[in-house]
Amino acid sequence: MSDGNRSFFARTALIATAALALSPLGVLGQSAAAPASSNQSTTSVSKDRWLHVRVISSDAKGETVRVNIPLELAEKVLPAINKHRLHDGKIKIDDAHVNDVELRALVDAIRTTKDGEFVTVQSNDCDVRVAKQNNHLIVHVLDKENSKKSEVEVKVPMKVIDALFSAGKDELDLVAALHALSAQGDTELVSVKDHENTVRVWLDSKNVTD
Amino acid sequence: MMLLAKAALGLGATVVLVGAYTMREGVIRVDVEEYRAGGSHVHLWVPAAAVPMAMHFVPSKHMRHASEQAREALPVLHAIVKELKRYPDAEFVEIDDNAQHVRVRTHGGKLQIDVDAPDQKVHVLCPLSAIEDVTSQLEEHATGA
Repeated sequence: MSDGNRSFFARTALIATAALALSPLGVLGQSAAAPASSNQSTTSVSKDRWLHVRVISSDAKGETVRVNIPLELAEKVLPAINKHRLHDGKIKIDDAHVNDVELRALVDAIRTTKDGEFVTVQSNDCDVRVAKQNNHLIVHVLDKENSKKSEVEVKVPMKVIDALFSAGKDELDLVAALHALSAQGDTELVSVKDHENTVRVWLDSKNVTD
Repeated sequence: MMLLAKAALGLGATVVLVGAYTMREGVIRVDVEEYRAGGSHVHLWVPAAAVPMAMHFVPSKHMRHASEQAREALPVLHAIVKELKRYPDAEFVEIDDNAQHVRVRTHGGKLQIDVDAPDQKVHVLCPLSAIEDVTSQLEEHATGA
């Protein structure tokens, strides 16, 4: 090998070495730059079911809260939380009584009843409607007391309610309820509208809010 | 000259291999800026793979203490991270108002937490695999204790 060639190879080796040695810095720079340059979240539609909560406040601060939770994640994480009344994905309730109403008996009664309206209240202050419709329990409240009306609508599939009360006495099975919820199609569960806030809780297969 | 080139090539290759191994899981990045007198200004970039490695050199009694402190949270954290890995690119929480912006998301298999408020900015970026490794090591010490 001539001196010229030898010198050329030596220089090439040195340059290659320098380039290779600096390459991790490039990787470092790229990984650091990535979050800044990619603010767009991808929208994916998959078999995963996502629970979305959106709160839009129309007050001076104009706050917007968006929470997106995969139901499967909630199903897996809840049993790991053992604190206070929450154990193994179940929450303890006192004697399953709320204001002297036996909840389990009430749920059993609703389950076996045909579709229809159970409670209808119409007054100057508010309208209340509790009904079973297409295997959904629907609660609708329209508050007319204030000059600015507020409206609440809750729509829960009966299967979810059944699952919720499927645990032992004095317990609500949250994990079973989430599992039952994940088998449902796209649906709106809660909608609250008043003069200051709009709250919406719904279920679909998208990983971002609309 | 040839000997020098070979030595440089060997050294370079070693640096690249070590660099690639260290950087294989990306970087843990923590940026904290507090806009007040005496406020913190923290800018921390650490190769994610280095953290679990470094934890092996932490004295056992300190690791046991840390495990004890985090004992209640460890199973929850472990379950969350394990599940989050299934959602490498997703937005979980976003809070916006006129003054501040909070965001919790996963991006490219990393947990990203951004807080932009008038008085402070916090940006945390951490590979989920690194959190899982740390959690597993703490759990091992908790079990050992």
